[in-house]
Amino acid sequence: MSALRSFRLLAVEAVQDAVRRRVIAAIAVVSVLSLLGIDGCTTCAGGTIVVNGQAAELPQVAGATGLLTFSVLSLWCMALAGVLAAEHLTQPLDDGSAILGLARPVGRGVFVFARLAGALAIALTTGGVLLGATAALLAVRTGLPPGPAVAGFLAFAIGAVTVAALAMSLSLAIGRLANLLLVFASVGSIALANTLSLAAREPGGLLGLLDAYGPPLASAVVVAVSGWVPQLELPGDPAELVFRSVVWAGGSLVALWWLFGRVELGRQTS
Amino acid sequence: MNVLELDGVRKRYGRRDALLDVDLAVPEGSAIGLLGPNGAGKTTALRLLLGFSRPTEGSVRVQGLDPSDPRSREGVGYLPERMALPGRMSVAGVLALHAGLAGLAGAAARRAIDAVLERTGIADRSDDRVGGLSKGLLQRVGFAQALLGEPRLLLLDEPTSGLDPIGIREAREWIGSARERGCTVLVSSHGLSEVERVCDRVAILHEGRVVTSGTVDEVVRPGESLEDAFVRHVRGGPS
Repeated sequence: MSALRSFRLLAVEAVQDAVRRRVIAAIAVVSVLSLLGIDGCTTCAGGTIVVNGQAAELPQVAGATGLLTFSVLSLWCMALAGVLAAEHLTQPLDDGSAILGLARPVGRGVFVFARLAGALAIALTTGGVLLGATAALLAVRTGLPPGPAVAGFLAFAIGAVTVAALAMSLSLAIGRLANLLLVFASVGSIALANTLSLAAREPGGLLGLLDAYGPPLASAVVVAVSGWVPQLELPGDPAELVFRSVVWAGGSLVALWWLFGRVELGRQTS
Repeated sequence: MNVLELDGVRKRYGRRDALLDVDLAVPEGSAIGLLGPNGAGKTTALRLLLGFSRPTEGSVRVQGLDPSDPRSREGVGYLPERMALPGRMSVAGVLALHAGLAGLAGAAARRAIDAVLERTGIADRSDDRVGGLSKGLLQRVGFAQALLGEPRLLLLDEPTSGLDPIGIREAREWIGSARERGCTVLVSSHGLSEVERVCDRVAILHEGRVVTSGTVDEVVRPGESLEDAFVRHVRGGPS
């Protein structure tokens, strides 16, 4: 029995589990509402646009709108990845299916990464649809090039892996509600720290530490799609952001593997 | 060859020893009943054998391998004490997933699934959601997944829990058939009569220690029932 085959079976089951629990249906409804919002945000067409008393070209305004919309959607989908991932590990541990699965010749690493893959498949698909729709509508309606959106999606995907793996690790130690709040608080705090830093307002204290050493969830996406706003000059080194994003994603996966390998499963006392 | 081995095993939770100095060897093809009052450490021993938990001291070997090695669980069928599954999953879905995880694919998997559905008497419930099943039917699903692919080693935790008298008799037959194929069986149970009927060896655990083990004839004195022997060993009477 190959580990790859077990991984595939369990990852597919993780997605089917979400379908059975109507998680995907709920995400689809939220996505449709988001798409309607995106449609509204990208309908600017023709006419004279005046910004601060000066006439502005449509692509300039659309670029800033696109950057903002793309970044906010990316962060929302990263948080979604975290919430889904935590639930994807808590659920089988609670309902007993993890115990039965791990009584088969399945390694703990295979099991936990398959569950993570299932959660990420849903979150990345959602992100792909929303971010893709944003980029496509901006390209069609305002002429913005789609290239930066590809880099932006990659930055989002790496951030989603980090958030999902960390949330899954935390779910082994804290309750569902606490984990949910922590995911949104963490992503929000990092986004705030990154935004302050990108606006050249050096954040201090914890926000400063998050910006300097934390996963650059917002920075990486903003820098990736900054090509839409050519006049925008962002501080920092893009290569350093890429390096830090990858290190955080890799470190989060290793932490998840290590922690799940040591957890006591199905503790009973008979 | 011993299929299961616990050597000087101690398992500590906080300040409490769930298992202490446990030595146990289960030869291939035998059926051992793990007996003991509540909290004796039976389920803890099973968890160590399945790699769900690591011993604080000592070593555990399953099919010659450390339980942290997934290969130690190849050809193993496990029935947990509390059979629980995702409620929205169908019986057929559960069995298909576990057939796949047990290494069965395609026609072989379908044959194995049909065989266990038929054998455990739930063929007509294969499309039902697990969440809608009674406790007895759920236990049959548990047996069905444990018996998939004719395992070499069966680890059964309270196997007759929730079954009616007919189900108990059938469960005895399923275990008996597995034994006839040469399957090694470990049954953790409070049901002394069940253990006496399906097992040729017993080990009695009390407060985390093995107070006695051996063949049924070695543990039970002439004229004594297994229940008498159990009470004698657990209450610390003359041995």
